[in-house]
Amino acid sequence: MRIFIRSAAQISIQNPLCDEWFENPIFYSQTHNRSIDPDFKSFIPIMEARRMGRVMKRAIVTSKSVIPEENRATLDAILTGTGLGSVEDTEKFLNALLKNDEEMLPPSNFMNSTHNTIGSIIALNFKCHGYNLTSAHRGTSFDSICFDAYLQFLKGAKNILVGGHDEMTADYFALFDQIGFWKKEPFTADTLKESSTKGTFAGETAVSFWLSAEDGGDSLCSILGVDLLYKPSQQRLQESLDTMLAQSGLTRDDIDAIVLNCNGDVENDTVSREVAEAILPNVQQLYYKHLFGDSFTMSAMGLYISAVCLHRREIPAHLIYRSGAGNKRPRTFLLHNHYQNKDHSFMLLSV
Amino acid sequence: MAKRVVITGMGIVSAIGVGKDAHLCALMKGKSGVGKIRYLQTKHTDIPIGEVKMSDDEMKLLLGIAPESVITRTPLMGKIALKEAMQDSGITDASRVAFINGTTVGGMEKSEKYYMDFFEGKKTDYIAAHDCGAGTDMIAETFGKFDLITTLSTACSSAVNSIIMGGDLIRSGRVEAAIVGGAESLSKFHLNGFNTLMILDRKVCNPFDAQRNGLNLGEGAAYIVLESEESAKTRNANILCELKGYGNACDAFHQTASSPTGEGAYLAMKKALEDAGLNSEQIDYVNAHGTGTGNNDLCESVSIQRLFGEKIPHFSSTKSFTGHATSAAGGIEAVISILALLNDFVPGCCQFQSPIEETGLVPVKGCLKNVNLQNVMNNSFGFGGNDSSCIFSKIR
Repeated sequence: MRIFIRSAAQISIQNPLCDEWFENPIFYSQTHNRSIDPDFKSFIPIMEARRMGRVMKRAIVTSKSVIPEENRATLDAILTGTGLGSVEDTEKFLNALLKNDEEMLPPSNFMNSTHNTIGSIIALNFKCHGYNLTSAHRGTSFDSICFDAYLQFLKGAKNILVGGHDEMTADYFALFDQIGFWKKEPFTADTLKESSTKGTFAGETAVSFWLSAEDGGDSLCSILGVDLLYKPSQQRLQESLDTMLAQSGLTRDDIDAIVLNCNGDVENDTVSREVAEAILPNVQQLYYKHLFGDSFTMSAMGLYISAVCLHRREIPAHLIYRSGAGNKRPRTFLLHNHYQNKDHSFMLLSV
Repeated sequence: MAKRVVITGMGIVSAIGVGKDAHLCALMKGKSGVGKIRYLQTKHTDIPIGEVKMSDDEMKLLLGIAPESVITRTPLMGKIALKEAMQDSGITDASRVAFINGTTVGGMEKSEKYYMDFFEGKKTDYIAAHDCGAGTDMIAETFGKFDLITTLSTACSSAVNSIIMGGDLIRSGRVEAAIVGGAESLSKFHLNGFNTLMILDRKVCNPFDAQRNGLNLGEGAAYIVLESEESAKTRNANILCELKGYGNACDAFHQTASSPTGEGAYLAMKKALEDAGLNSEQIDYVNAHGTGTGNNDLCESVSIQRLFGEKIPHFSSTKSFTGHATSAAGGIEAVISILALLNDFVPGCCQFQSPIEETGLVPVKGCLKNVNLQNVMNNSFGFGGNDSSCIFSKIR
């Protein structure tokens, strides 16, 4: 089966709603970074926007950017991956709860605090009654929902909106800092590659994709397979890849690059490198979190940068993690993601 | 022809007990688990809730977990239900089994307790236990081995969406078995959240009654084991019933309220019927979402009338027994629906007196025994209009 990525849009710590990161990436050396937001006014009426937190506004903007108006109400599914939902609303309600001793609390923050608010606000905006699902499974929240998209296409879906959305507030950043999520020592995008210490740096994610069963002639690339695995053995990873390749009529030699979730955290990156070397030795390795930072749904950005590279048939030098074999004009990528070496995922992409 | 998906095991813990036998007994006797707050720390002690009648420490003891281990309440309940479901199914090797868990509140019940400590570098082990996936991860570790796991979070319909995704997974051939459902503990956070929305009843809730006055929150965990019919037959498993069909639709009307036409609910039920290849007359019992709020019960009644017309099947809500266990509700009610199906009874709305004026629909009052049930429908609706429905059928 071939699922076409008809369009994609991102808001992140790189310039939003464009691909300037391809030619002129912004490099960060701070651990806490918030996305560069576009002007929301041109997408959402001011009164409406006032009731929404950032994560929701970004989700609306990226969703509207990828789905043409005439396709919105008839989408077969709106699928959302988010590790934490609207952290801003959750924190506002929690702080009020603790400060006011369970009195005089803001109901709207509570309403917005559930993870599925993002997906349902999109549905509300699009007047779409289709299948609507949200996955919240740590570092594979987005991968899980892509996997569900794959299942929906198998069942005959024609058009699906898929998104990955997470924000990182100052308070949540501070909490994650307590448990060693962020780098303690100075770093640059270059030093992350050779890092021998724990921790990474934070970014925020808002990425949406229009996935379709039809090419439409303007697709960025296509998804050939998606798989999720829990604590897989090396043999199980190999088996999953082989199944995916066989179903697509491809072999490992067709893969031009493996896209890894390397983020400068030595434990995370060691796992990624070991997987890459085991399943695709010598194939060039790409990374993206050195440009976008990390969040629970940053793997959505992995899909995004891969789709752009395959569409342009070009890999910018700054995405290369380890050079190796692979076509200069790439046709096929394998995306690998894992969270703490427990949940793993694969996605196979081709032009 | 899509693969037939059957149920080969289930496990449950809720306000009315631990295990499916305890549930069957409480439902038949009409014994509600909703009552005065005992374990949750809150100042709103006048609000009745459906708590699982065990402290965290008692659950740890039951599970053989060290008292000092870092674990939140949701995964404790999840582990109890998962163990029962696995034992019931007879599956000993889960290495090719999927586990899909529905949850929303996550570790909030500990985060709200230790939030200020976190910033001072205390109790920091609970920081990583806060998110939804953390709970699923802790539950999955009970067995160490699954082929894939994930967490779905669509508020109060999370568990039914897990059932739906599990069904799709098996039909696709990706796995032969999937353990699906949900787990959710009470928290001060969402008790206060629902309280600010002014939809909490100060007495035991009274779903579908004209005088209904809101919902009671509850907690618990429940899982069912879905399996392809071939796999179940190959290993001579005890097949309980079939997952005949399911549907998910979005109301796309309001963030928390349901539309007056019950569009999302109607579409979810209609899709479930179509998927099952059944017509509406073939549904013998609907275990409704029936929270007891003015808005939900009216909209759900309207959607039931739209779908079933003049021939309304038996319907009831079991939330006056268990309370509304939010993300776990769909799992708990799936198990209750299957118990009803297998034992040919309908658990009733224990306090019902007068029908909603606009629809005149009368739910089953008290426990109705010796009814011949072939197909039962289980509804679960969430915030944001995330509406889902699934149908369980006897194996002919």
